[in-house]
Amino acid sequence: MSDDLPEEFDLIVVGTGFTESCIAAAASRIGKTVLHIDANEYYGDAWSSFNLEAFNCLLEQPNFTLRNGSYIWHGPESKEENEEMEIVSWTRETLLEKSRRFSLDLSPRVAYSDGELVKLLIKSNICRYAEFRAVDHVCILSNDELVSVPCSRSDVFNTKMLTMVEKRMLMKFLTACNDYKEEDELSFRGRTFLEYLQAQRVTDKIGTCVMQAIAMCDANTSFEVGMQRTNRFLGSLGRYGNTPFLFPMYGSGELPQCFCRLCAVFGGVYCLKRSLDGITQAEQSNELLVSSAGKTLRAKQVVCAPAQLPASLARHYGELKPHISRGLFIAASPLGNEELNKGGGGVILLRLLAEEGAREACLLQLAHYSGTCPEGLYIFHLTTPAISEDPSADLAAFTAQLFQANAPQILYSAYFTLTAQTIPKTSTAMPICCTAAPTYELDYDAAIANARDIFDKLYGEAEEFLPRAPDPEEIVVEGEDPSALREHSLPEDLRAQLQQMDIAE
Amino acid sequence: MEDYKFLFKIVLVGNAGVGKTCLVRRFTQGLFPPGQGATIGVDFMIKTVEVEGEKIKLQIWDTAGQERFRSITQSYYRSAHALILVYDISCQPTFDCLPDWLREIQEYANSKVLKILVGNKTDRDDREIPTQIGEEFAKQHDMYFLETSAKEAENVERLFYEIAAELIGQARSKDGSSAAAAAAAQRQSEGSGSIGLGSFSAKAAQSNCCGGSSSSNTNPNTSQAG
Repeated sequence: MSDDLPEEFDLIVVGTGFTESCIAAAASRIGKTVLHIDANEYYGDAWSSFNLEAFNCLLEQPNFTLRNGSYIWHGPESKEENEEMEIVSWTRETLLEKSRRFSLDLSPRVAYSDGELVKLLIKSNICRYAEFRAVDHVCILSNDELVSVPCSRSDVFNTKMLTMVEKRMLMKFLTACNDYKEEDELSFRGRTFLEYLQAQRVTDKIGTCVMQAIAMCDANTSFEVGMQRTNRFLGSLGRYGNTPFLFPMYGSGELPQCFCRLCAVFGGVYCLKRSLDGITQAEQSNELLVSSAGKTLRAKQVVCAPAQLPASLARHYGELKPHISRGLFIAASPLGNEELNKGGGGVILLRLLAEEGAREACLLQLAHYSGTCPEGLYIFHLTTPAISEDPSADLAAFTAQLFQANAPQILYSAYFTLTAQTIPKTSTAMPICCTAAPTYELDYDAAIANARDIFDKLYGEAEEFLPRAPDPEEIVVEGEDPSALREHSLPEDLRAQLQQMDIAE
Repeated sequence: MEDYKFLFKIVLVGNAGVGKTCLVRRFTQGLFPPGQGATIGVDFMIKTVEVEGEKIKLQIWDTAGQERFRSITQSYYRSAHALILVYDISCQPTFDCLPDWLREIQEYANSKVLKILVGNKTDRDDREIPTQIGEEFAKQHDMYFLETSAKEAENVERLFYEIAAELIGQARSKDGSSAAAAAAAQRQSEGSGSIGLGSFSAKAAQSNCCGGSSSSNTNPNTSQAG
């Protein structure tokens, strides 16, 4: 079998981040020939996860996506140093020995159980490549303590944080939100969600729960948006776990790979460690000539992650600016009390505010059941929109709230900045489509919308975005009697293909 | 619900053209399609076998062509119970690449995954790798070893049946020692099992909000061999 790369493709996708992988899979799924390359030797680009050693290397060598990286070890270097101490369970040495058991995300996310990502995975059948873990608790900070927000009906009645009166109040409020129709409550149109909440005369505690954890709003969020978010939260309850959220097993870096697998299964060609070096318009056709690793490839379309643009094109996109400030901590003890971290559980989501609600950050605590760290350790991911080139300064207001009162035993801390370019609306002068860098969001809604937009632009809205892939049992194999196939069980598009084949014969 | 006791995930790796897809198709469909190209749309194949009176479902995953430019996704190796590393006995370079594959396996696969080295294409009369060399390599790297011919259907059934038998053995010995502990952990932390969305999609579509249904492991039949 020849290892030579074919020279002509319908689509060349550069970068294997979430958005690019989505587009590659969608194009391959409707029969386009796809080449998917990445300059890195790993999948995922700014959406990837790394083992501990690889993560440290990444922080030491800034690239287009990541800069201002730094890390510090807080624990002892090795056991010898601490002979006097009775129990030294984790040292720099023992952490590095288990380096491969870590899966450290650049862009950690959770997914609403009934959100865009989960719907897309189920609809396209890509869900067979992914495993998830339910987030155990959605928390708020109350007097420097992490408190679990009651999510289900039984949670509300079992919680100790609310009085009986408050419990009834919360249930009444949530039921009202759940029953809300757009024609209702005309009086609050154009006002804020906070005003609506105050009009319901809920207590401060309930107000905090709703604003911070359930609706995830600030004082300026409009009534309509707040209602929408509350219902997204409620609509995702009771599906998979105790909270409305799921976290991908082994880290968010797995998700782009799931889309890549689907693309490959439908014929997409994969090539890591291969960069886009230049791109020109072919003279007598609409094709693009793409130079990569000393070869010229022809493609009808090219989609590229901004960080992987060749220098000649990158300058059209303005300079790289700090976009997201990230902190990553490895600790030997979890945040919050035992109740929150029962039996190795302890995947916790917490939204933090600073400067009177003007700034926010998201904390995700992961325990070993998430497949991202060895047993007995916890990872804290902190994410906030960047306001400077100093990620640790950007996050200082949030780490102070988290780590001062009941400090967990932190063994390692790292900070870095994810960058993004100011992408202008794709001009006609630019022959290629650029995806957006990861934005500050909890779920993948913006990234999926970005992928869908680009897909529609390339292939028109008539083409379905990631239709259901058949299960293995449904595949027609050459030499098999096609009449043996249960035709009605096939997805629409494959059935249509089959009928076309019949007609051609 | 189909009736089976265990579900095992088996993944194949090795250079392009060594016959990975042929092995899978010979076993699952009894076919040997000569000179086939990449099979579009085929992801993994499923075959239920009966070993020691137990019904075992084998889910056998192919590389989807990503091995061609050494770009297999890490997630391909996740939660595999057994890993079949294949080379072509009539093609020295496919044997020379084995250490590279082992490095990748060590990096990404579970350290306790069952590893089998397979020299395929014993039907060819231009053998370049003597059986003994393959055997020694396998022994050195703590792998089982078998030579097969997907074309002649030689040792193909045996390969998968032996894997199934070994995995059952592992699952049973684990059942005996730590099932209680595992169950206790499960009880303590509700929803500690991982969730596959597919198996729940029908249910999810029906359930309404505030249903407050409890979570659980959605793959009760999946046994962890590792």
